[in-house]
Amino acid sequence: MTIRECYSMLNGDYDDVIGRLRSERLVQKFLLKFLADGSYELLFRSLGEGNAQEAFRAAHTIKGMCQNLSFTALERSASALTETLRGGELAGYEPHLSAVKEDYERTVAAIKAYAENPES
Amino acid sequence: MRQEQSKEKILIVDDSEMNRSILADMLADEFGVTEAEDGEAALAILAERGSEFSLVLLDIVMPKKDGFEVLGEMNRTRLIEDLPVIMVSAETAPAQIERAYELGATDFIMRPFDASIVHRRVLNTIFLYTKQRKLIDIIESQINEKEQNSSMMVDILSHIVEFRNGESGLHILHVRTITDFLLRKLVRKTDRYPVSEGDIPIIAMASALHDIGKIGIDDKILNKPGKLTDEEYAVMKTHSMIGAKMLDGLYAHKDNPLVKYAYEICRWHHERWDGRGYPDGLKGDEIPISAQIVSLADVYDALTSERVYKPPFSPETAKEMILTGKCGTFNPLLLECLSDEFDNIREALSQNVSENAVRREIRNYADAALYSKGVRASDRTLRLLDYERMKYNFFADLTEEIQFEYNVSENILKLSARGAKKFGVPQEIVDPANEPRFKTQLGENWFGNLSKYLSEMTPAAPEFRHECELRVGGELRWYDVIMRVTWTDDASPTIESVIGKLVDIHDTHIAFDELREKSIRDPLTGLLNREGAGEDLAEKLSKFPEHKYAVAVFDIDSFKSANDVYGHLFGDKVLREVSERLIHSTRVHDLCARIGGDEFLIVFEYDTDIHPIIARVFKSLCGKVDAFDLTVSMGVVEMTEKEQEFEELFRKADVALYVSKNAGKAAYRFYESSMEE
Repeated sequence: MTIRECYSMLNGDYDDVIGRLRSERLVQKFLLKFLADGSYELLFRSLGEGNAQEAFRAAHTIKGMCQNLSFTALERSASALTETLRGGELAGYEPHLSAVKEDYERTVAAIKAYAENPES
Repeated sequence: MRQEQSKEKILIVDDSEMNRSILADMLADEFGVTEAEDGEAALAILAERGSEFSLVLLDIVMPKKDGFEVLGEMNRTRLIEDLPVIMVSAETAPAQIERAYELGATDFIMRPFDASIVHRRVLNTIFLYTKQRKLIDIIESQINEKEQNSSMMVDILSHIVEFRNGESGLHILHVRTITDFLLRKLVRKTDRYPVSEGDIPIIAMASALHDIGKIGIDDKILNKPGKLTDEEYAVMKTHSMIGAKMLDGLYAHKDNPLVKYAYEICRWHHERWDGRGYPDGLKGDEIPISAQIVSLADVYDALTSERVYKPPFSPETAKEMILTGKCGTFNPLLLECLSDEFDNIREALSQNVSENAVRREIRNYADAALYSKGVRASDRTLRLLDYERMKYNFFADLTEEIQFEYNVSENILKLSARGAKKFGVPQEIVDPANEPRFKTQLGENWFGNLSKYLSEMTPAAPEFRHECELRVGGELRWYDVIMRVTWTDDASPTIESVIGKLVDIHDTHIAFDELREKSIRDPLTGLLNREGAGEDLAEKLSKFPEHKYAVAVFDIDSFKSANDVYGHLFGDKVLREVSERLIHSTRVHDLCARIGGDEFLIVFEYDTDIHPIIARVFKSLCGKVDAFDLTVSMGVVEMTEKEQEFEELFRKADVALYVSKNAGKAAYRFYESSMEE
């Protein structure tokens, strides 16, 4: 699988990311780092504990990473969730959260598929 | 390894490891990178070794302490003044960005960022700050050296006088010490005299020159072992006026405080409080306070020193003689100061008996200049002048500046050798404004306006400076031109000559322009931002106050839902499309800006009727972008003569915009005062 194929599977914009980071090696490196980031788990844990502040931060971090990596789909849903959580109230975020969940799982699946069988 | 050490250091603060790592990868080749995972960690690093860093890249949303708290703390410790901070954040709300700038952030980079832009902005910022820091260092060290040098020159000069007087060499040092003590006491006692703390070392230094006029007195009189005749005494008395004239001859330095105080001291250190002194018979506080003090110090030290005609008096006796009026008459306030400081002065003078190393060195200089008694004063003066010239050239070389001198009546311009070589013109140029080669190289920008500048000069404000582009080896470079005018010394002064220097400021100038351009532009659309719009409008108004203007503010209807439905990338596309349409439908002298998320501003300049113009622009802004049906709501206000404040115009246009929004969007309204309710 090529990185471009991986991007098309996770609904990202490969041309955009390569235009900004300028090197396939870097894109690959950060793609794999994305798997190691704990923000997604933190998001769910904070929501479970009712910690709106921490949940907002976690969503914000996911949004930031997606912007860096041009994960268009996940960035859009993470961004919507971030805005809902920004006020510090835990209300009405559920539909955004399930969108994030769906996009995140697709993204992770794509990266894993690529990691198992990378080609350039 | 040396190169490794000289790398500029950057501190990256972001809670996401990936974000830090992306930035670090972009910059690690050229910079030393340190990472901090939240605001608290960053502040700990900065507190410990903040001065090591050349730049901070700072995220906003972080645990423990966020980016604003870091900026706040950096303000409190004033670190922000020396260490530039670039914000890197996904925040797009104008209020957040505004707040970061208000807290002293230098720049703001939005995520997602482009590697080359980050790189360029980091370089620019570091470059600008380093340059500034270096300039400050250069200036500080020059001032220090200059002060040390003038102090040494004063010591050399005064030693020459002493040498010729056959005095011990300690007299000058004593007078200086006593002057210092008395002055410090005096300024604490009273504010009657215009002397500040900063003047004290200058007056003390100037005191060393009190007898330089004795250079002009014949050896035979000066060193006569016996008592002077009346005629000889009359000649001797002229030394105070001779010294004053020598200093008055230092025309170019006449505003220098050292020269000014030295003049007062030379001329009036033999005046008396009761008016019976010489040369002018001044009385009481007609005598400048500097001269009063040196006079007292001079008498005290003469009394306590051995002379051919008398043994030394003890400090106590000398004090009594002065206080009781047996030896001169003085300002009662100064007598108080002498009583108060007596113990300190006695102590300090007893320690001065042995010369310190520095002074010995100075003595060697002076002895070398005076190794034979036959050396004439004019030779010594020439030596000293030579020394001054060498010193000046040395400093000028350090800063790579180019000096020039323009004699107005002869209409001749002289450039320093370095300058002539650099610009490829002769060193001496007759009639520079019309000399063809000079004119094409330098003339238009530099000399073209000279006569205009000169007509605006007055003796009270003889300096002026301006920046202009000069041609160096086929390339135009920015120079700072600093000039000073000298005037003839008669009743109706005219300009005699212009001296000055040219300093190459090209790199700083360009970097500054680039940064400034960035700070007033919206990176997404390339339109002006709000700050830029405000400045541009103010400039327009001051240049063409008689023109007619109207301010329009509009935003994109249902922009938020377009974002939600089609995503942020599409939102950006819409914003770019709007700015394209805006540029095409307005004219060059109209001013277009993106002032917030989806909010835009236009300032129209028009002749007769604004209404058809608004109708046309409004129409061309609306229309589909892909599937999105783009319409805008707009508010317009016409500028009146009374109402010219940008913020107020902006507010009124916003009120009108709000009315058209409420009336169902996709429309424009002109502001009316009835809308305010």
